[in-house]
Amino acid sequence: MTKKQKSTIVVTAGYSILALGCLCVLLPLSWMVITSLKSMADITLSRGLKLFPSGPTLENFVNIWKEYPIATYIKNSAVAVGGSTVFGVICAALCGYGLSRYEFKGKAFLLNFLLVTQMFPAVMKIIPYYKILVNIHLNNTRIGLLIVYASFSIPFCTWMMYGYFKSIPTGLDEAARVDGSSALYTFYKIILPIAVPGLVATVIYAFLQNWNEYMFASVLMSADEKKTITYAISTMADAYKIQWNYLMCAAMISSVPTLAVFVVMQKYLIAGMTAGAVKE
Amino acid sequence: MKSMLVPYGFVSPASLTILILVVYPILYGIYISFFDTNLVNKWNFVGLRYYLQALTDASFLHSLGKTMIFTVSVVAGHFFFGFIFASVLNMNIRFRTLFRGILILPWLFPDVVIAYLFKWILNTQGGIVNEFLMHFNMIAEPVGWLSTSATAFPCVILVSIWKGYPLVMVQILAGIQTISADMYEAAEIDGANMWQRFCYITIPALKPILTTILILDTVWVFKQFTMIWLMTSGGPGSTTMVSAIEIYKNAFSYFKYGLASAQSVYILVICYLIGVVFRRLLRDD
Repeated sequence: MTKKQKSTIVVTAGYSILALGCLCVLLPLSWMVITSLKSMADITLSRGLKLFPSGPTLENFVNIWKEYPIATYIKNSAVAVGGSTVFGVICAALCGYGLSRYEFKGKAFLLNFLLVTQMFPAVMKIIPYYKILVNIHLNNTRIGLLIVYASFSIPFCTWMMYGYFKSIPTGLDEAARVDGSSALYTFYKIILPIAVPGLVATVIYAFLQNWNEYMFASVLMSADEKKTITYAISTMADAYKIQWNYLMCAAMISSVPTLAVFVVMQKYLIAGMTAGAVKE
Repeated sequence: MKSMLVPYGFVSPASLTILILVVYPILYGIYISFFDTNLVNKWNFVGLRYYLQALTDASFLHSLGKTMIFTVSVVAGHFFFGFIFASVLNMNIRFRTLFRGILILPWLFPDVVIAYLFKWILNTQGGIVNEFLMHFNMIAEPVGWLSTSATAFPCVILVSIWKGYPLVMVQILAGIQTISADMYEAAEIDGANMWQRFCYITIPALKPILTTILILDTVWVFKQFTMIWLMTSGGPGSTTMVSAIEIYKNAFSYFKYGLASAQSVYILVICYLIGVVFRRLLRDD
């Protein structure tokens, strides 16, 4: 077999794998879209295999918008998740930079500890969080959820930023220090601009993780007008019966922000992770 | 003197937040595990009773077994597909960005959305899988995929693999791209085949990334709650009752906070040991 034939086989195999993978991803997701376009009659009355709606309709979107305060749910999510992303990534960037540039007592412990924080079952953190938030009168507030979410994303985000900063040569820092710039100035004006790809990858990660969170939102934001969109979807399903076309509609609406964040920032994602790639 | 404090300045915002919102809750959880308590006015110190009770508690041990099977299968699935897709995406092929974008999709949807989507797809009444199989006469009656003990657990595992492989794929892809192409070329000239190049260049170069992401993925899957809870709530019977759900039920359905906390501490210890073992195994010698 010549080298050329060999590489043709490899490339063909590659395309087949990708095509198969994409099919497995797209089939379930397209079922969500199709269901959201079906009328109630289509769902309940149809017998047998029926792939496409008899008359695609957008009435589900209109109806759930009328029946549920979707805009409020999205706003709740946006404030808590947006705020926690900003706050969490700032903390993580500072911490990651400190860890990558300095030797100090407790550094190894801190790095190890960031991993250990991921190991305690989230379930048992609900009660203390609830108590803390009640004590400082922040339960059922978006600020309360914002702080809790920030604490979730800080450990992994710090690891990501630490990895990225390590890939940037320290020569720049030293040059800046010789020129008399302060540590914070060096970080903010010289290193951070170079670290934008890593920063963006971290932002995407933090945003996705917290937008998708369910368990804590269900306990800490129980009041109806404070629900986040992901939790709200599950309460729609808990009602006396599940209206699948409504549910799939709401599911699609709730996924728009994460898709949008990804599409806007995706060209940075791989680049950001490439240089930084979480490593020890 | 001043310069010694600089690093602490950088790490303190994150450290303080973690101290208040991660360390305190964990310590509080450990504290509760020594008490028979309703968290309001009943606080009876019981020492290690719940720790001993958990060790002989058949349903907790059963849930640990389930969690082990779940974790091994799901993490293996994440790495299997993550590796395959990342390797192919790293090849010089057309539409790479498009393929990558599609393959990342499952990661972008909330757990809640994916859980309900598959609940609908696998539904007994009107679920597309049943309708499809019945249409082609492969089954006579609709199957309750998530309510039959033989199929519920495999279904939950498959959905969890489907949802979680993109993060591993992205990390591996990022890692592969840092490996210089010269190394592969040199190896090829020396006559190394694809498998050898994979074993002796790709894997060693990825080791540091793999170690961390393997530990984190294992720990995250080990504690998976949302998707299983929404799809099966641990049922039917206890066939999908992983530890996170067992603990949740003990705490919030039966109000056995002390026992649930003691069980949580066991999970923490197990996860920590898993981390230690992985790092030993994957250490650079």
